[in-house]
Amino acid sequence: MRNNLRVFVIITILGLILSACGGGAPTAAAVLRIGWLGVPDTLNPAYAFLTEAYSIFDLVYSPLVTESPSGEYVGALAKEWSVSDDHLTWTFALKDGLKWHNGEDFTADQMAWAINAIIADPDGWAALSGYVDGFSEATAPDAKTVQIVTEYPIANMEYRLSFLYAVYPPDFESFASPEELQNFLNDHPIGTGAFKMNAFDKDRGVLILDANKEYVDGAPFLGQVIFQKFDAADAMIQALKAGDIDLVLGIPASAYETVKNFQNVKAVAFEGRGFDELIINDTSEDNDPPSTGNPALKDPAVRLALETATNRQDLIDIVLQGLGKPGSTIVPPTLGGGFWHNPEIKPVEFDIAKANQILDEAGYIMGADGVRAKDGVRLEFRLQFDAESSNYPRIADLLSDWYKQIGVKATPQGMDADTLIAAMTAVGDYDLVIWGWVADPDPDFILGVMLSDQYTPGGWNDSGYHNPAYDALYEKQQSAIDKNERREFVYEMQEMVYNDRPYIVLYYDVALQAYRSDRFTDFIESPLGIEISASLAQVKPVDK
Amino acid sequence: MARRDYLIGKMGISLLTLLFVLLLDFLLFRVLPGDPVRAVIGRNIRISADVQSSLRAQFGLDKPIFLDQFVDTLGQWARGNLGVSWSQRRPVSEILISKLWNTLLLIGLGQLFSIIFGVMLGLLAGWKRKTPFDIGALTFSLIAWATPTFWLGIILLVSGSAWFGLPTGGIVSPANIGKPLHTVLPDLIRHLILPTLTFTILYLGEYMLIMRSSILETLSEDYILTARAKGMSNFQVLMRHGLRNAMLPMVTIIALNLGFTVSGAIYIETVFSYDGLGNLVQTALVKQDYPLLQGAFLLLAVSVIAANMLADFLYTYLDPRVKAN
Repeated sequence: MRNNLRVFVIITILGLILSACGGGAPTAAAVLRIGWLGVPDTLNPAYAFLTEAYSIFDLVYSPLVTESPSGEYVGALAKEWSVSDDHLTWTFALKDGLKWHNGEDFTADQMAWAINAIIADPDGWAALSGYVDGFSEATAPDAKTVQIVTEYPIANMEYRLSFLYAVYPPDFESFASPEELQNFLNDHPIGTGAFKMNAFDKDRGVLILDANKEYVDGAPFLGQVIFQKFDAADAMIQALKAGDIDLVLGIPASAYETVKNFQNVKAVAFEGRGFDELIINDTSEDNDPPSTGNPALKDPAVRLALETATNRQDLIDIVLQGLGKPGSTIVPPTLGGGFWHNPEIKPVEFDIAKANQILDEAGYIMGADGVRAKDGVRLEFRLQFDAESSNYPRIADLLSDWYKQIGVKATPQGMDADTLIAAMTAVGDYDLVIWGWVADPDPDFILGVMLSDQYTPGGWNDSGYHNPAYDALYEKQQSAIDKNERREFVYEMQEMVYNDRPYIVLYYDVALQAYRSDRFTDFIESPLGIEISASLAQVKPVDK
Repeated sequence: MARRDYLIGKMGISLLTLLFVLLLDFLLFRVLPGDPVRAVIGRNIRISADVQSSLRAQFGLDKPIFLDQFVDTLGQWARGNLGVSWSQRRPVSEILISKLWNTLLLIGLGQLFSIIFGVMLGLLAGWKRKTPFDIGALTFSLIAWATPTFWLGIILLVSGSAWFGLPTGGIVSPANIGKPLHTVLPDLIRHLILPTLTFTILYLGEYMLIMRSSILETLSEDYILTARAKGMSNFQVLMRHGLRNAMLPMVTIIALNLGFTVSGAIYIETVFSYDGLGNLVQTALVKQDYPLLQGAFLLLAVSVIAANMLADFLYTYLDPRVKAN
């Protein structure tokens, strides 16, 4: 009896040890295949513009700090960090045991070099130079400490640092001109991230990453990640169904219901950072060249009436198949995990009768042809949009129908996107335009879209919104170190834009993604979707 | 002697055509509305107006189109340099060459099959005029010709992948990229089946219809009657006297199609995520990548002109009347 028990215990222990070993072996070879519709334009962070490139940077490179799936900033290369009392000197202590993919030790002066390179050559580092605005210099007091000195207090320092990747200095040191730097393709980036570059075939749109076994936060469970490009969304969906790929990051709304019914596939909808809006021409009277916008659009009553006659829920149901949320302010509810969005601002309720009443009270008399007018100015507008969008033509038709019911004639016109941009910013040759934005994780960028000084050729202000009080608040929020204080400014700015209505925010987008649940598990699902860089470091193959 | 003069004349005209196309190429893309810098960097990136203007200078867009940009471009071409793509930051010639082989493979195979089957089908249908075979082949060809490319491609992709496990996109599986050609040949063939089939079905109809009407016309000629009177078998009449004469219009169509082959088949390439020239031209157009567009259209123009010259050359062999004139 006693002997039997001993044998049983020994066998059990052996079994446990064996199963533990066995569990480790197949995971090492696991390959996760991701389908995408684009390819990185280049793997050189100095000159990369497409989001696909940044997805790869986040896997191969590491910045000092990075945004966690919950919206908090956590250390990537940095173990901890602090800022001086005057908020001008930031000190970062690096993690122990940091190594480049080629096995060399990673040192603080290399990080400092990467940041100083951008400060010294903003033209060459075109894609990242905006993030070092106000930086004086970066130094490395010792091998494990990085210090950054700024000219003024920077409120969103962590956000900015999350784009400043530690690039391998020997790869980037030798360029004589900005052009030379930008022509460098960096097809074999050496970084410190969870994955190492294996191969990038740009022509075929295939990018292969291998797990970095020496990764400072622990080796990934996956052995390899393959990104494969598809030119047609339908083909990509079929590939997911057939099991040719395991993860799809952008599913068209029209295919979502179908994908949800696939066997062994989990489809998930997330709130994104994007919104679509109706832009109302707000260009000032003394603009050069003179704006051609209908002067009635300057009247707050007309703007309010337009919003009141806009049925947001119908737009979402008809255009987005119900996958979206009614829009209110230009700061989407997902930014910073909901920290920055002003929840007090509620969109005006759809009410045609009330919209008519607003225009009646403002003195716009209904004409015989069903178009209102006041002092000879008819409420007749161009309603323009990018004709290549799949959503905008339908939005235009719906808006035009509702506006007709309040005596406003809005004529839809599909246009080429570049022509439309050329007619808008700094020119003001339009009335109403349907367009959209995708905000950055930090509200700074999307708030900057309303600045007066962005209304220049090449700038981002497309409504012509001009409000000195708003501009002043923008500067304040940029240097408000206290997060809650900064939020007060950000809230107030949202309120200003909402009340002045250069934009009527129609809805907030939803991101649709899907993965093979029979193959992989443990994806990190944040409110913004499957967080690729964090997920791939910890996704596990399903034991069969 | 006559043939040489004829060919020299044709070559001179071809050269003039090419020069004209070059000029048109240069102008055409610059007439397009919009700003290439904005098209290259997209809308949602924080790129300051300063950086944009420095990019504009880098691309040479700050200079007047005439004469500066035109002279710069011509000078580059004269040195055999097609420039560097703005959106890809790689030499245009390198990009074009890598895509050219893929396109030639896909479209070449597709053309070959559609010509073989189209000519055979057309010949038989014409010969067996008004039989159920003729009516069936005619109906099939009309439907095939009228089918939208994208739709047929997706249907074949979905059924091929679901029923036969064929790949859903690309030229080879990602795991095989970079390996020597002979080791990935089976994989390559598997990837080529569906796009080639799509192409064959779509073009077969055109060849069949032209071949059928051409052979019908030929068969009504007096010399066919004479051949029959001489006691030749049906097969001999069809092959010796019918086919050769009926092939004349086919040569023109085939040569023209071969020229355009190089431009790729945008829809087929898109459905099957096939890395070819058609796809390239489309993305270059969206990105307003002038150097890449100019290079691609130059290649297209050269191949169309070369294919036409080939047709002219073949005519001198196929049709004695051309030689005589």
